[in-house]
Amino acid sequence: MLANTLLFALASTGTDPVALPSPVRAEGELAIRAAVVHVGDGKRIADGTVLVRAGRIAAVGAGIAVPDGAAVIEHDGHLSAGLIAMRDYSGSAGEGADSTRPVLPAAELAYAYDPEHPDFERLARAGITSVVIAPPFSAPPVQMPELPEGFFFPGFSFETPSAPLVGGSTALVKVGSGRLVQRRAQLHLSFSESALGQDAAPTSYPGALALLDELFANPSGALADAKSGRLAVVLYAGSNQEVQRAVAFAQRHGLKGAIAGAPRAGELAKAIQAAGLGVICAPFSPGIETRALRAVAELAEAGVPFGFALDAPERDPESLRLGAAACVREGLDPDVAWAALTSSAASLLGAAAEIGSVAAGRQADLVLWSGPPLDLGSTPVAVYVDGQKIHGGAQ
Amino acid sequence: MIVLALLALAAPAQRGADLVVHADRLYAAPGTVIEDGVVALAGEKIATIARGAPDSGGSDVIHVAAITAGMIDASGRVTPGQLAVEQSREVTPNVAVAVGLDVYDVGWARHLESGVTTVFVAPDSYNVIGGFGIVLKTGGPESIEARTLRADAAVCGAIGGRPSSGNSPASGTPRMKSRRPTTRMGVEWEWRKAFYDAEASERVPERAFPGSDVLRAVLRGEHALVVEAWTTQDIRTAVFLKEEMEREGLGDLRLVIDAGAEAWKEPQLLVRTGTPVVLPPFGDGRVGPERAFHAWNTAKLLRDAGLDVALSSHGAESPATTLGMQAGYAMRGGLSFDEALAAVTTTPARLLGVADRVGTVEAGKDADLVLWSGTPFEPSSRVLGVVLDGELVVDELPD
Repeated sequence: MLANTLLFALASTGTDPVALPSPVRAEGELAIRAAVVHVGDGKRIADGTVLVRAGRIAAVGAGIAVPDGAAVIEHDGHLSAGLIAMRDYSGSAGEGADSTRPVLPAAELAYAYDPEHPDFERLARAGITSVVIAPPFSAPPVQMPELPEGFFFPGFSFETPSAPLVGGSTALVKVGSGRLVQRRAQLHLSFSESALGQDAAPTSYPGALALLDELFANPSGALADAKSGRLAVVLYAGSNQEVQRAVAFAQRHGLKGAIAGAPRAGELAKAIQAAGLGVICAPFSPGIETRALRAVAELAEAGVPFGFALDAPERDPESLRLGAAACVREGLDPDVAWAALTSSAASLLGAAAEIGSVAAGRQADLVLWSGPPLDLGSTPVAVYVDGQKIHGGAQ
Repeated sequence: MIVLALLALAAPAQRGADLVVHADRLYAAPGTVIEDGVVALAGEKIATIARGAPDSGGSDVIHVAAITAGMIDASGRVTPGQLAVEQSREVTPNVAVAVGLDVYDVGWARHLESGVTTVFVAPDSYNVIGGFGIVLKTGGPESIEARTLRADAAVCGAIGGRPSSGNSPASGTPRMKSRRPTTRMGVEWEWRKAFYDAEASERVPERAFPGSDVLRAVLRGEHALVVEAWTTQDIRTAVFLKEEMEREGLGDLRLVIDAGAEAWKEPQLLVRTGTPVVLPPFGDGRVGPERAFHAWNTAKLLRDAGLDVALSSHGAESPATTLGMQAGYAMRGGLSFDEALAAVTTTPARLLGVADRVGTVEAGKDADLVLWSGTPFEPSSRVLGVVLDGELVVDELPD
């Protein structure tokens, strides 16, 4: 809380304590040789070398000459880009939504997280190097029971919904340094029952849509940025009827971005693809239904770009890789699954030129795995963010 | 006479049809029965109807005992309840229940399997004025929009205890619903205030509210006004509202009473204002949230008084409350077969402004048919098949 207050105070004076213009400058050059380098687009380089300079990848290849004076790490395993979690609550639990009002387009989740929170260490240990800090997307509220006429429980009311309708802008954040990659990554909009109030407007789907349509009819601030395409949106929806409304809304207002929160969204892959939207798939949980895993494969077949949400600290950080692996079991191509954790996720965030793949010019977010990265028996031996080691042993 | 005219249609037109159905008795419309009738479908429309043996040029012909047009439930109510009613205010003519409907709801299939191919869905009666209802097909593409026949047919509201039941006086911690109305008087006050404010808002902009333009269109008769009113007391309030609007020069409401179980008590009110009635499901005596007394002969009495009567399931889900059973119950109360058929086909089609598309079996109309195992509406008859937009979407036909 103190950290947040401090951040807010500093930000309001015009300085930016977290976002830096470029990656942290690393001392000297670093060359990492790995048995297999996963570029991120399905390509693999055997006995590859990754050259890191000033926090970025300077070169990648099989026969890269290592400059004199560069530190050299020999890794007898696999190397990949760091994983990207498309939705997360690390270091921001309880701070992600302001329940006093349902529409807060100017809110910025950049002010909601504590970059030094221990949650981030757990992400690093799972090979996750970038996360999107987002407002909560929680279960639907308890329905008020139908009461006889004239009967109510005094003092018993569901005053506010459990999630915001317009929840502000998410933040794309680096694990380890806490550096902001994108202060405003996406604008959060909800079409879910969880954003409807029992004792606060809007209480209904028609009411919520009427309000959202009104907001986007004459948009200002972040809403105007979203309508003009400068700011992507995340359209939260739970059931597929909610997905239908979200897709129609995005088309009506020309919004670009991704559907999130809908485990079966893949069953509507064609409509989502036609609207030019992506999908942020639900994180893995032990109770996840096979139908939801198959729906992810349907997204891939329809050519819909997608990534995975994580929702740590509610979920174990290993759920990210576990979810992708479970989808492979139900028919998803392993390379597509891996891209969803790295390069596709970066594309959805408009950050493909910066993160998500092991290529020259990208930020040096690298994971050294003990074995094939989608194999859950493999573990991150070392994790680098912006060329700085944030997790690992002697390498 | 009608039968003779139909015979003039050439049988060879059945050749090349997408689907041909033959029945011992084709109930083409109320009062028009064709013995040994054949319906040929082309695409989503009815191509021809004729009498005699089918000539389909060798393709398969479905044979059943009876055919009627797909039934129309004048109050079908497949909604997510409160989630489709914006309760932050009492009067919300600016919203549409269509936005809250779930195309994946099993209620659509339940309607379809019972022979209902078109429904009118109103918002549930939690608000005084809940917004636009919608006329739509019960099957077809997985999109509410694609199934819609009319999205602007009627604005819906309620008079009675229900629209005020969630509200409470402002005591203790104020809640969103610490407000009027908390009584029938308050509901009536909200109705009158809404129309007077809407009418005045053209001259006095401060009196405008979200949807006041919609209510002005209602006053101009551009949309029907469907008011749920179970008891005679509430029906009276609705009729008086219509008469007051006319008397004061605000406009002419196209009032339709929905769930008018006790309309039989004072039919003269409805006769003098020409107000049609949609009846809720029959039951043994008292029905619905108001425990209104619904007599078995309600439909018969209203028809004898010259009123338009449509039947409905009002969202009831049991096999004994299907629309076909309602027609049977109305006949048990004295209604003729033809009038019962009209009450589930042509009358609701006309009230909802979709008679050009649905309600009868005739060339050019939507290919929506119910295929019966015996005489329609008889408790011993089954719905063996349902054709919707030319597709056999329910198929329990014997091999």
